Amino acid sequence: MIDVITSTLPFLFEGLWITFKISLITIICGSLLGFVVGMLRTVGGKPISMVLGLYIHALRGTPFLVHLYVIYFMLPATGIAWLQLEAFPAAVIALSLYTSTYVAETVRAAIQAVPGGQAEAARSTGMTGAQAMWHVVLPQAMKLMIPPMGGIYVIIIKGTSIVSVIGISELVRAGENATLRHPKELMLIYGLTALMYFAYCYPVLRLARWAETKFGSVRLPS
Amino acid sequence: MDWIVDYYNWRVVIQFIPEFRDGISATLFISFISLILSLVIGTLAAIMRISSNPVSWRIAAGYVQAIRSTPLLIQIYVIYFSLPELPILDRRLNELEGGVIALGLNAGAYMSEIIRAGIESISKGQVEGAQSVGMTYLQRMRYVVLPQAFANVLPPLLGQTAVLIKDSSLVSFIGVFELFGAGLTVLSERLMPTEAFMTVAFGYLIIYAVMLQISNYAQKKLGGKRA
Repeated sequence: MIDVITSTLPFLFEGLWITFKISLITIICGSLLGFVVGMLRTVGGKPISMVLGLYIHALRGTPFLVHLYVIYFMLPATGIAWLQLEAFPAAVIALSLYTSTYVAETVRAAIQAVPGGQAEAARSTGMTGAQAMWHVVLPQAMKLMIPPMGGIYVIIIKGTSIVSVIGISELVRAGENATLRHPKELMLIYGLTALMYFAYCYPVLRLARWAETKFGSVRLPS
Repeated sequence: MDWIVDYYNWRVVIQFIPEFRDGISATLFISFISLILSLVIGTLAAIMRISSNPVSWRIAAGYVQAIRSTPLLIQIYVIYFSLPELPILDRRLNELEGGVIALGLNAGAYMSEIIRAGIESISKGQVEGAQSVGMTYLQRMRYVVLPQAFANVLPPLLGQTAVLIKDSSLVSFIGVFELFGAGLTVLSERLMPTEAFMTVAFGYLIIYAVMLQISNYAQKKLGGKRA
């Protein structure tokens, strides 16, 4: 048992490193995209808000697995050159789109949680709408956005487990490969894999809870 | 309507209608069983979590933390592949059992957090009132606290159910046939990813739209906060 652990741990750590990389790239890309979507949905007019609402519902209403297969298998089948994605970019794009819906809803909820009087007072001192948003509303909304981001980050980390199906050797795939080498130790190897996810996610969740007590939180529209 | 065939060959999809129909009903069936299981587990865990007995609330909290910080895929693998290694079972779980147990345990953790919030939203007077008419702990839970708690948190419970239905696509990896599996069948038999996955996405969107309607209706029906 000890030799199984010592022989599989290096591979699992390699997988964990790739999981870490994907989740880090995704939280950055997904947050930027989600921030833009959320802002546009809040300040944009009715048509923009409706189109973005459709985008969010379409992504929320289908499993992530379907997004992944659409981006990795369906887009290349269209024959357009720049849609012929490799596995890694396909995984990052699919995860980022998925993340952006959560971030967009968080951003919107946070902006709406700032009392309307704040924006009105800013406008009455002669600020333009954009200035009021940038100098008065957003700084307050930012604090409310931080705690839910921890939960979203954990959702991404867990989401990266699914990209193993398009052949990225992240943690789950590393575990699967290890079970091929030691088919008798399934429970041990999958248990180790689960422990590694726990070690990555648990501190993030704790941090999110700490942030919640520090900054307060907004209720997300479910 | 022939131009559309170049982009989405519905004639092929029509050939596969039996697969997609079976897939949708399997997805609904798996989700339904898992939902029942998760509600039972979630209620038990929520009650254990708020009890003052340190052993019981620590067990419940540990369960919720463990589920929340590991991916569902790993939970499915652990339960399907390694539960049979334990001496408590003398046979292998079949795919459906493994998938449903994993889904139920996974959703149960999230449900328990929601139900706990519901129980904590019940005012103390309700419990004291029930106590004063001589109800036992179980009677208080059964007749006074839980019915109101569930009514208060019905919208988030329905939201979590929608997540459960989406998550059920993952059990196709251990060989359970459901809606996503139907898409995989089309992909492997015809190599037509667009027809396969657009149809699957459409199927999930229909289920999601129905869930959304039910949720809106429930929210309207339950209206404002109760006591």
